[in-house]
Amino acid sequence: MLILGIDTATAQVSCAVGGHEGVLASSHSIRARQHAETLTPAIAFTCQQARIELSEVSVVAVDLGPGLFTGLRVGVASAKAMAHALRVPMIGVSSLDLLAFAVRFTPRLIGAVVDARRGEVYHAFYRQVPGGIQRVSGPAVGPPDDVASEVLAGGEDCLLVGDGALRYPEVFDGLHQVEVADAELAYPSASSLVMLAHARALREQWVKPWEIEPLYLRKPDAEIGWITRESS
Amino acid sequence: MRILGIETSCDETAAAVVADAREVLSSVVSSQVDLHARYGGVVPEVASRAHVELLTPVVAQALVEAGLDDGHVDAVGATVGPGLIGALLVGVSAAKALALVWDVPFVAVNHLEAHLYAAFLEEPELELPLVVLMVSGGHTLLVLMEGHGRYRLLGSTLDDAAGEAFDKVARFLGLGYPGGPAIDAEAMAGDPTAIAFPRAMLDDGYDFSFSGLKTSVVNHVRKNPQVSTADVSASFQQAVVDVLVTKARRAAAEYGARGLVLAGGVAANSQLRESMLDACMADGIHPLLPSRSMCTDNAAMVAAAAWWRLSQDGPSPLDTGAQANLRLPVL
Ligand SMILES: [Zn+2]
Repeated sequence: MLILGIDTATAQVSCAVGGHEGVLASSHSIRARQHAETLTPAIAFTCQQARIELSEVSVVAVDLGPGLFTGLRVGVASAKAMAHALRVPMIGVSSLDLLAFAVRFTPRLIGAVVDARRGEVYHAFYRQVPGGIQRVSGPAVGPPDDVASEVLAGGEDCLLVGDGALRYPEVFDGLHQVEVADAELAYPSASSLVMLAHARALREQWVKPWEIEPLYLRKPDAEIGWITRESS
Repeated sequence: MRILGIETSCDETAAAVVADAREVLSSVVSSQVDLHARYGGVVPEVASRAHVELLTPVVAQALVEAGLDDGHVDAVGATVGPGLIGALLVGVSAAKALALVWDVPFVAVNHLEAHLYAAFLEEPELELPLVVLMVSGGHTLLVLMEGHGRYRLLGSTLDDAAGEAFDKVARFLGLGYPGGPAIDAEAMAGDPTAIAFPRAMLDDGYDFSFSGLKTSVVNHVRKNPQVSTADVSASFQQAVVDVLVTKARRAAAEYGARGLVLAGGVAANSQLRESMLDACMADGIHPLLPSRSMCTDNAAMVAAAAWWRLSQDGPSPLDTGAQANLRLPVL
């Protein structure tokens, strides 16, 4: 069983392929270009590096967010189209789950924190369990102070991971029971996605492409788009 | 050659399969108009979310209706601009993903060029050159089409698009959204000569301006609160139509056009269609008023334009993105 994983929920674009042998190939980049420009060639390249044909993919997994809406939709729309064209099922995983999964070997409480812009973060807390992680609270969106309060209230040591934790050192650096994970762990990884999805795929915990919806956690701004002048 | 077209530039989620830019095998349009009605205009984030939800079933339906549920199309074309960036990216991403899986060319389509090709789907033997009046909520353009891929931009709006003026005036008059059909219906009961609204830049080149007209409507209604909404609607509509038809007709005469084509959502306006038809009859040129479903945003026109672009320029690269402010490629 081969899984193609796609993640574009944050500033990073990444994809990976793998299965029971683990991750066969992966690619990730953080740059100013639009996610849509980067993702499709990255998928082609990653499959080539893994020496697989897209037609061999049996499940398409995608990061459902929360994250940056426009980028997130590029991945979800691409993944749904690929699963539809390949006639294979899909598995959606939250960006917060992916961040926490990457640091699952710590015995501490894990806080996944994704930058939500506008002075807010998306966050959820996890604990290590045999074979993975278990969410103990969230997901939610709010100011970084909410995360700090939750850690202080719990009174135990906590590892924070994600670009949202790195963005607010003034909030987190002074808390003595908090450690913030390095920048290399700041974005959800498509490799984690493939591994998590593989475990779920073995239990056939998948859905149809049209059942996949991004996890926004925020209502849309009701601002009207008078698109036009510039375009004509 | 069968091309799957995808259109998500604004508030219609659409997919279609067209054979050789002539034969529409399927054309599915899922309008989000009800989603946006309560805001009185298109809300970009609402539109983008709806595209993600609707696109997969819309594409599936287009393939099934075309008898291609095995997915064997020869190319995939998608609108890459102009439009709402977040909305465009949904269609572009999905189209490139489908092209990659099916191992067929991806073709980037300019939405404005697609509107030009809508006319050819209904009349493949149209003779060139043509003058095209493209009027929608997003665009107001007067284009001379000299040949396939050969366009001259004669004029465009300096401020609001025609459809935008309809939406804003309808909102001010409390007629609801979308404004075009609402004003069209209200105007039926009104007198188009009741109020002499200004015809901006009527004799002045081929550019348009509608924001002053919108302001005149607002001022007139504030000064005359008892005025009939039907008369205001009819007089406003007549002012817009007069400017559009006068300029289109003058352009057709100046450039020796064989035909005059209406495109875009406002082309569904009954007063505009009638006046354009009368003008063409009087001037002895061929009128082309595509059906309402071809005027408004659809993916059949995208697939048709993709066929022409593919035969002219070949496939587009897979690192193509979306461009909110893409312009018509003019000479
Ligand atoms: Zn349009």
